[in-house]
Amino acid sequence: MRTITHLMLSVLLAAMASAADLRPPAQVTAGSAFSISSSGSGDATFYLVGPSHVLKRQVKLGQAIAVDGDHVQTSGRYLAIACGSDGCSSAPFYVVAGEPDRLSFLLHPSRVPVSRGDAINATAFVFDKFRNLVLKPVTVDFRITPKTGAPFTKTVKSDRGVAWMKMASTPKEGPVKVIATVASAAEPRIIQQVASDACNLRIRASRTAKSVLIETDPVRDCSGNAVPDGTIVSFTAIDSNGKTTVDAPIKKGVARAELPLTGGARISVASGVVIGNEITVGGRS
Amino acid sequence: MRNHFVSLFPSHAERGPSPSRRRVVFLTVLLLLAGLCSLGVIRVVHADSLPQVHLNADSIGPRPIEELTGHNVTRDYANAWRDLAQALEKDQPDLLNAYFTGFAKDALLKKISEQKKTGVHTRYVDHGHQLKAFFYAPDGGEMQLLDKAQMEEQILDGDKVIHRENSTQQYLVLMTPGADRWFVRSLEPVPASFGQ
Repeated sequence: MRTITHLMLSVLLAAMASAADLRPPAQVTAGSAFSISSSGSGDATFYLVGPSHVLKRQVKLGQAIAVDGDHVQTSGRYLAIACGSDGCSSAPFYVVAGEPDRLSFLLHPSRVPVSRGDAINATAFVFDKFRNLVLKPVTVDFRITPKTGAPFTKTVKSDRGVAWMKMASTPKEGPVKVIATVASAAEPRIIQQVASDACNLRIRASRTAKSVLIETDPVRDCSGNAVPDGTIVSFTAIDSNGKTTVDAPIKKGVARAELPLTGGARISVASGVVIGNEITVGGRS
Repeated sequence: MRNHFVSLFPSHAERGPSPSRRRVVFLTVLLLLAGLCSLGVIRVVHADSLPQVHLNADSIGPRPIEELTGHNVTRDYANAWRDLAQALEKDQPDLLNAYFTGFAKDALLKKISEQKKTGVHTRYVDHGHQLKAFFYAPDGGEMQLLDKAQMEEQILDGDKVIHRENSTQQYLVLMTPGADRWFVRSLEPVPASFGQ
């Protein structure tokens, strides 16, 4: 009889001593304190294992297990585990990013020719204050301020934490400021717009005692921006001795070269892929 | 002295088992040794082998992906998971240097540091990754992907397994190119409902 009673008690205790049940919230905002309710009784070891965090401490089962916000600053999947005398039980939950607070902003390229379609790429990553990617759609404004002309704004909804846009460069050279903003966060970047290829490249010639001095008109692109000093202009002369090419950099807006020509010659000019006019010197017009 | 030699090298007449039987015993031992060695080799190969990664870039944009880039992303993501699993199991932060950077590396370094403090560590048995690339920045500087990873996750306190789970886990991944490889910059576990 005593044996049967012992057996029944054992079965009853075993049934009561099922592993503790943990019930965390389905979703927690990063950095927020919360509690996990637990069933069962007695002491247990509580573990919280997340993407960047591992917590281990003693708890009393049957009571709410308080978790500080410090332990859930990284968004992602967490596992709450409790191990008591009767085994371990676990429950997963997700920590999601908080409100947008920071931006990581990339603007390419750093220098771009004027009036070029889709030449500027802007990509912004939206983070909360703990640098978790904010995955819900949020509005990101790209405010563009050219050197001349009115500023304008492009508004983009972020998708899975990323907002991006393409835009054409404006017609005038100089710095263009682009500020990406979300909530109170603003990230400025500056892109330098430079003159495009030369346009209407023209030369004139004047004869000296032993040579011909060739000089361009001020070299500008099709929008009227001065092509930067240092840009190479090539002068090519064809005379009775053959072909001679001289490269000269633009200085103070014009390029000059002295060609050792005594007889007549045909002279042409080019800069990059742009070909300018052709002139004839030496009495033949 | 002679007796010692006798006992060590018994004469033919003294030997119990026949040569054919000895051959069988020898072959059996050899086979057993070979089996054990092969198991060891398999374990080593398994530990060092790369997880299977399949990349689907059908819906990538706004920049199209080049074939070589797709190949490199797949290779480097597999390398990253191999290193991650080893780093978390062995608490070796140095293993993260080759394929992790930025927030992903910071988070994993912090986790390894806390694993060392608590004696808890994570073991992954990787069963493969279905990687879907959906964002490739116009300048080619960033790629965002969604990984459906099949894996067994074990949480151990010392040598005791306190949690074991075989599941499909989704990760939102941000990769950026370096000089000769793609780095994992962000690796965030996201719910199964994400991206649907």
